[in-house]
Amino acid sequence: MSLLQQEREIILSNEHVDNFDFAEVEDFIRNADKNLFISHHFKNKKKMLVQPRGGFPTYKKQFALNEFFVEANVDVLPLTIDSNTRLNDYATAKKMLLLSEENDVDMLNGYPLVTHGYRATRKMVTHFNKPVSLRHGTPDARLLIETALASGIFDIEGGPITYLLPYSKNFPLDKAFLYWKYVEKICANYSKLNEPINRESFGALTATLVPPAITITIQLLEMLLSLEEGVKSFSVSFSQTGSMNQDIVMGAVIKKLSRHYASSINCSDATINLVYHQWMGAFPTNKDFAEQLINMSTVIAAMVGADKIITKTREEASGIPTKEANAKTVANTQYTLGILNGLPKIVDEEEEEILTLEVNAIMEAVFNDSADTLWRKVFNSIKSGVIDVPFSPHIINHNEMITIRDAKKNIRIIKRGNVPIPDRCFLYEKAQCDLTKDTTSMVNDIIHDIGIMQ
Amino acid sequence: MKVVTGVVGNDIHVVANRLIELSLNARGFEVFNLGVNTYLEEFFDAAVETNADVLLISSLNGEAEGWSREVKLLRSKYKTLDKLVMVIGGNLVVGTADAETIVPKYKKYGFDLVFHQVDLNTGLDTLEEYLKERKIV
Repeated sequence: MSLLQQEREIILSNEHVDNFDFAEVEDFIRNADKNLFISHHFKNKKKMLVQPRGGFPTYKKQFALNEFFVEANVDVLPLTIDSNTRLNDYATAKKMLLLSEENDVDMLNGYPLVTHGYRATRKMVTHFNKPVSLRHGTPDARLLIETALASGIFDIEGGPITYLLPYSKNFPLDKAFLYWKYVEKICANYSKLNEPINRESFGALTATLVPPAITITIQLLEMLLSLEEGVKSFSVSFSQTGSMNQDIVMGAVIKKLSRHYASSINCSDATINLVYHQWMGAFPTNKDFAEQLINMSTVIAAMVGADKIITKTREEASGIPTKEANAKTVANTQYTLGILNGLPKIVDEEEEEILTLEVNAIMEAVFNDSADTLWRKVFNSIKSGVIDVPFSPHIINHNEMITIRDAKKNIRIIKRGNVPIPDRCFLYEKAQCDLTKDTTSMVNDIIHDIGIMQ
Repeated sequence: MKVVTGVVGNDIHVVANRLIELSLNARGFEVFNLGVNTYLEEFFDAAVETNADVLLISSLNGEAEGWSREVKLLRSKYKTLDKLVMVIGGNLVVGTADAETIVPKYKKYGFDLVFHQVDLNTGLDTLEEYLKERKIV
């Protein structure tokens, strides 16, 4: 038996799993309907795919949410996982699920997939026969992803960097790399049986003044870590920055560079898609304004040329959205996409060149690390601050980089820390900003720059 | 002037914590930032280890109220913290309440300065004046 299979048997034999039948699961995936695979839809799509966010604790409420989404003409169904399951606390998830079922009150902020198990969840997934995207935030997602794939969920979000640096203070990063390596291998193996399983990185990161160079570098690295294990369909992503031009430049550069770096490791046969997140920062409390913001995000996603858009709701500022509000965004977004015709093509060569130089410089520094494998190189680069994510709560992150918005609301780097931004690019970035202010007024500007949409 | 700072409890809201660090640095403090998700013991241990003059605890989700009840008891277990200036700020209650009820409560818990939903720079100005008055600067 291979080491991987031995590890799988350990992961899948515990009190929280009801008799995992390896052969039956393989058989199910081999014969699964193509419509369950987002990779199949990406291949044949004529328009941008629309995917909301959402997860409720009970099977019944999740089923009802999906019915609303289908009614609103959804392309991809979400399944957002509760916070206990994300932290591998299945016992608490189970207790809270029972309380939710008994009292008709939601005691969990998402669907406890491991607790429901793959047999029940597969019934729901195959009933709707739409691709389902797994949304979580789990550093050790081995059991969760095994359960998801066995349920017919073939779009798996996350990664060792993007699900750790924004979400955790001290989960060990090296462990996260190894746990995610397991996930990549499982996804790669199942991809040989039918349409490919799609992996998606979470480019929104902290959604707080993250500069495009950092976002793109991390997207490319998680893509490479996934492709090198044999994944054949991968989505890079980023979230709305606050400047339409910066979004369009990012879209152009990430598309170009993802193909370039994929082919640099002889993986040009893999399909790379682009996912765009509607504004991920603080939302206006005025729900009508929130709808305007969502609509604008959709327009920008179209300008960027995204393959999939992930939506917000008018209730974003007030908590977990109702199924009605959630479905409404899907219908509105589909409508906007349907009437957006004759979009102009905007190319900003200077900005694209600067951003490309920055990303290539950071990538080169990562590759030049003396470690023997890519994940160790990336680990060392985060540890040494070559990769630095603004506003990450994690202790390993350097927090030396400082960013602000320029007059056109582009995110600019005004302090590099250890990130190897080339001098020419750094001078260009700083030249766009007013740096004559003292730190106190700069901090006030940063506070304003974060809350730009409120 | 040495300051130990961080966000108390299981609170992971990091944005203001970074801005506090930036602002304190700009004002010439030597800052030891423990970041988010920090327990009271860790704050006091760090204050001892760094020989800090000020301990500045912050809270966003309001957890501070639960934790602060133990401040006096815990502090009394440390022998070298008599001169430590204790400051707390942010959103100091789960739900809503006004400063008139919150400030006296936290002073009783053992804080010298209490800032409930006070602008960052106003708070730090007040801290600097306080240190000057006490001739700690």
